[in-house]
Amino acid sequence: MRSQMIRATPRMRSLAKNLMVYERPEEYTNGSVAHDDFRFNERLRPQLSTLYGIAGYRSLLSRALVMADAEVPWLREVHMMADGSLKGLEALRGHLDPDEILEGKIALLAQLLGSLVAYLGPSLTWRLLGKIWPKTSMNEADFSDRGEL
Amino acid sequence: MRKRAETAGAASPRKGAGKQARVTIRKLPTGVRGLDEILSGGILEYSFNIIGGEPGCGKTTMAHQIAFANATPDRPALYFTVLGEPVLKMLRYQQQFSFFDESKLGGAIRFINLSDLAMTKDLNAVLEEIMKQVKEANAGLVVIDSFRTLARKASGERSDTEVMSFTYRLAQFLTGWEATTFLVGEYFADEIRDNPLFTMVDGIFWLSQTSERNSVVRKLQIIKLRGQETVPGLHTVRIGDGGLHAFSRTLGLTGNTKKLVRRRYLSTGVPELDKMMGGGILEGDSLLVAGPSGTGKSTLATQFIAEGLRRGESGIMAIFEERPEGYTRRADMFGLKLKAAEQKGTLETLYLRPLDLSVDETMQEILDAIERVGARRLVIDSLVGFEMALAPGFRADFRESLYRMIGALTGAGITILSTVEVEDTFTGMPFSHYAISFLTDDILRLRYVEIDGQLRKVMVVIKMRGGNHSKDIREYVITGKGVVVIHPRRTDYNGLTTGIPQQTGPRRAQDDEAAPEPKANE
Repeated sequence: MRSQMIRATPRMRSLAKNLMVYERPEEYTNGSVAHDDFRFNERLRPQLSTLYGIAGYRSLLSRALVMADAEVPWLREVHMMADGSLKGLEALRGHLDPDEILEGKIALLAQLLGSLVAYLGPSLTWRLLGKIWPKTSMNEADFSDRGEL
Repeated sequence: MRKRAETAGAASPRKGAGKQARVTIRKLPTGVRGLDEILSGGILEYSFNIIGGEPGCGKTTMAHQIAFANATPDRPALYFTVLGEPVLKMLRYQQQFSFFDESKLGGAIRFINLSDLAMTKDLNAVLEEIMKQVKEANAGLVVIDSFRTLARKASGERSDTEVMSFTYRLAQFLTGWEATTFLVGEYFADEIRDNPLFTMVDGIFWLSQTSERNSVVRKLQIIKLRGQETVPGLHTVRIGDGGLHAFSRTLGLTGNTKKLVRRRYLSTGVPELDKMMGGGILEGDSLLVAGPSGTGKSTLATQFIAEGLRRGESGIMAIFEERPEGYTRRADMFGLKLKAAEQKGTLETLYLRPLDLSVDETMQEILDAIERVGARRLVIDSLVGFEMALAPGFRADFRESLYRMIGALTGAGITILSTVEVEDTFTGMPFSHYAISFLTDDILRLRYVEIDGQLRKVMVVIKMRGGNHSKDIREYVITGKGVVVIHPRRTDYNGLTTGIPQQTGPRRAQDDEAAPEPKANE
């Protein structure tokens, strides 16, 4: 729990939220949260699998899932496939409201980003994500592990 | 190659045409300090090389340095990782080095993990993926790490053939695409003879590490490099903040010889000693001051440096026994203002006592300092301390390395004063327990002698390669001004060199000397 608190800092959560707004702005403008995908994962997966290998990416993601489901219990129903994609959100349709789904996605992405920062440091993580989301206005300070906003 | 071309040209009327037709091969910088000098300029462009050695020698770091030094957005470096160190960890550790330029990642340098492919498919699939990536990126530099692990993928009777075929096709393809290639792999020395891979590659960069007693020493050897001359032998390698640093056996001093048109005599800072030496030390000479503990070797060395500073000649003091503060404090007492010179940047005092030091590293430190301050005088105090500061494994090479350094520095016109402690015997007068006198142009021997119920000090110039010198044995004291030669040669004693002379003449009248001897306090 201690490391969980360090990894998913408020700053990391804020960044995760911004990335998801960027990916699917309609989720935040009209509340139509997508139940059927983890789009951020589909953005990250090919890039990080090229870099780390599928096994490497799966390892990062599985740890992020374990850390995040302590905060958001419904994430325990999510399954990781052999290629690193995530399934299981569809089955939860009707049981979760949009805010809960959003909260789970943010928690998971924040943990994943936290792991990257823990391994690579803020600067390298920022550069890496800048290649994946080149049009977002992230900066290196967003990945600071100090936790302040 | 060059010789053959010249010979052919001399016998042929098409001499000029032959020269024009010869291809100019560009040399790429390695990004590894000292390595370009070992490689006579750098890595040959489009060459197919292997960086081999046992685990932990710095192979991956070297490959990274080469990649970062050469990768550009137009001709990126592709770093393929295969079943070796996870990239996440690789990036985590490699970013600690100063050469690691994050801005190149993802653009000029691209990491591609082939582990999944290698685990699920055969070598043909791996080759196809490499070819696809190289074509797409127009890669100028390719690294495959670890190639050894990839080669192990092949198994069964056909494995050798399969690996050879894979390597051959890879080499052909990458050469065709004008990529300079480095295969990184954990190999052992005895494999070089038997593994055909080593025959196929253009260059073999071999890293090794050995441990002796408590020290570990890393070495680099360029076992093979087609079409290019290299500095032969084993070169010391150190891994520091900047990555690998190779210390060429020539210390980067090849071709650095500066012919002094007219050599001056440099004052030692002790006027009577200058007279004994026929005017002083010849510029560009190496003087060895040998004597037992307490005879004033360090004091003399300080006077030599201070005299140079007075005359506008910058200096370096490489000290191995005493702390710099002690040195400076004593110099102050002699009225030699070393601190001011240090602040002015005309003097640098190097205190070199780290463990596991190699001779080449020490010498590099000294050479760097000489370059920084533009030194004309160098003190090494002492050779015994220098040797003791070395890792045990390097001590065997001490004399050879010292020979190389002294030869190179004096060749460049730098005047060196080295001290060495010798134990006084009462039967002879050894110059040193090393056979190092051949290294030096001049030798000054200090020793204790028993005279009139006192243990006094005498000095004698044993040898001066550059000219004649006094044969007198002169008594000296160490006063508040430093070493001071006090008497003309003694004719009333025989056997001064034994330390227990025989009085042969009437006792010379002399002033009573205050006890203790008026020596500068520490």
